[in-house]
Amino acid sequence: MKKLIATVTLGLAFLAMVLIAAPAQKKMIQIKGSDTLVNLVQVLAEEYMDKNPGIALAILGGGSGTGITAIINQTCDIANHSREWKQKEIDQAWEKGVKPRFFIIAVDGLSVIVNEKNTLDKMTMAELGAIYRGEIKKWNAVGGTDKAVSLYGRQSNSGTYVFMQEHVLGNKNYSTDMKEMNGNAQIIEGVLQDEGGIGYVGVGYLFDKDGKVRKGLKVLNISKQPGGQAFSPLDKAAVDNGDYPVARPLYQATNGKPDAAVAAFMAFETGPEGQKIVEREGFFTIGAKHKEQNEKNLR
Amino acid sequence: MKKGTMPKLGMIFGFVLLTLLSTSIVSAQQTFNTTIYFDYTNYLSKGGPVTSAAKNNFFAFRRAYFTYENKINDNLKFRFRYDADNTVNITSVDFGKASTKKDDKLRPFIKHLYLEYSGLMPNSSLKIGMTETIQYKIAEDRWGYRSVAKTLMDGYKDITGVDVDAPSADLGVSLTGSLAKYVRYGLMISNGAGYSHAESDKYKKIAGHIHLIPVAGLSVVGYMDYEKQDADNSATTYKLDGYFEMIRNLIIGAEYFLYKNDKYLTNDEVRYDVSGLSLFGRCILKADVISLFARFDRYEPNSKTSDDEMSRVIAGLDWAPVHKSMRLQPNIWIRSYPDSEKKNDVVFNFTFFLSF
Repeated sequence: MKKLIATVTLGLAFLAMVLIAAPAQKKMIQIKGSDTLVNLVQVLAEEYMDKNPGIALAILGGGSGTGITAIINQTCDIANHSREWKQKEIDQAWEKGVKPRFFIIAVDGLSVIVNEKNTLDKMTMAELGAIYRGEIKKWNAVGGTDKAVSLYGRQSNSGTYVFMQEHVLGNKNYSTDMKEMNGNAQIIEGVLQDEGGIGYVGVGYLFDKDGKVRKGLKVLNISKQPGGQAFSPLDKAAVDNGDYPVARPLYQATNGKPDAAVAAFMAFETGPEGQKIVEREGFFTIGAKHKEQNEKNLR
Repeated sequence: MKKGTMPKLGMIFGFVLLTLLSTSIVSAQQTFNTTIYFDYTNYLSKGGPVTSAAKNNFFAFRRAYFTYENKINDNLKFRFRYDADNTVNITSVDFGKASTKKDDKLRPFIKHLYLEYSGLMPNSSLKIGMTETIQYKIAEDRWGYRSVAKTLMDGYKDITGVDVDAPSADLGVSLTGSLAKYVRYGLMISNGAGYSHAESDKYKKIAGHIHLIPVAGLSVVGYMDYEKQDADNSATTYKLDGYFEMIRNLIIGAEYFLYKNDKYLTNDEVRYDVSGLSLFGRCILKADVISLFARFDRYEPNSKTSDDEMSRVIAGLDWAPVHKSMRLQPNIWIRSYPDSEKKNDVVFNFTFFLSF
């Protein structure tokens, strides 16, 4: 019995120590998810923490699916995601009592990149879809050389993977020849070293430290229809007005109404200071409609 | 099933799987994962049914899983999981030596070996092979601490010695999915023999559950299975679960089951039923870092006997001081018995949970 009392007392003392120690730490906001968003949100967080020393933000990537799962399992405060939630995820959230609120913090012109030695400058959405489904195997089928097409894409828990599949591949499967890379940076490295390579990355990953498209890469212009005008993801006006066909909003989700600390950070991200950073990092700022929606969800 | 048919079917199934894998291995997403439960156990009481054993403190591996998953495409996935425990206690094979002796080495065995296809219907998953059963998967997800204790039905035989035909994996086919956000379903047809045994009769176990979520965070699950035991006898399980997850970072669950087997007879040839109740709660103090958990189980292994019930209380802490893949889970078990001849058992476990 003495042994039992001693063990229980020790256990309670241990628990008390842990609980007492916790409030002494900074308020920690956990953010997980999209690899497209991870660098942008990291920069936003660093600037925010400089101004608000009482707040700590931890940002992890892993893909949109990882972030969405984390918010459903209540293991993070904010999920970054570059695609909309699937019905299955909405159902899981319902099951676990999680009521997601969605915010749009930036807009991405998802960029199709090839090696600079590739002679092509543009292609249609249909051609892009056929290439990624594996129906087109050589570049000469779309006006290029007879070099074999070498596909680079993301792994399936990536929001970018899902976005491309839904919007470009017509919900069909990717070619089994596609190399599934862990992040945007790995896709860029692959295409840089592969003359037949093609990849898709968030526009924010295209630039070097001088703000220019990285040497060795070529960004393709994309047209909606054969014979139609092709637009670049670097053209803000084309992305804003919907002419560039592979543009997408970049989201954050919270479980219900965000608490004061999370709401303050999100207000910073979507406010003038945050949006300047969004632009500086190569993404596009949000429009009035998105701003209005965000403000509504913060209330 | 005829003797010898099982291995043949197993070989054919294995060949099909290997063929599928070999054609897709270049581009598929493949993952490896290992999970280990390791305990330091100390008996805090003496003389109870458990704590009367000569050893009163010891280290032990309870489980070591090694899982390989191969996502062949968006709709097709393959899983191969080895499990290892030391409960089999088999005799070592001795080639020509004079003696053989039993040992407690951790021995690997196949726990899961299945193909999962998710393109049959929207929001559905069809599994073929040695797959997890649908009896308590939902409860296990909510309880979340298999490393500390199996859920009620899963661990029933370990605690009471009474078999309620509740293996955690079985060879067969299962279909699970959702019809709308309010309704989930599960169906399974399997050998009923579990992953430890080959099929020994022609009868199959048929199981089904319906999971209703009328409001966000509130679940009610009804489950039933049926299997003929022989030409004249059958066994049926009825199970009802409820889960409350409407308060952030708090999960409360309840499981009740009743098992009826025509072959479970008293000395007077009267059938007795087996039942159990489990109530549990889990509170996340800091996500991925620290949680508290507690559970109460009530076991009724024979409805016709009055002094064989037992209760178990589990309470503990789940702490990941460094990373969520390495967790420390100190916990206490108290088992009590209405039989005045039996002393209560109080056991302290320091459980190490590793997943990488």
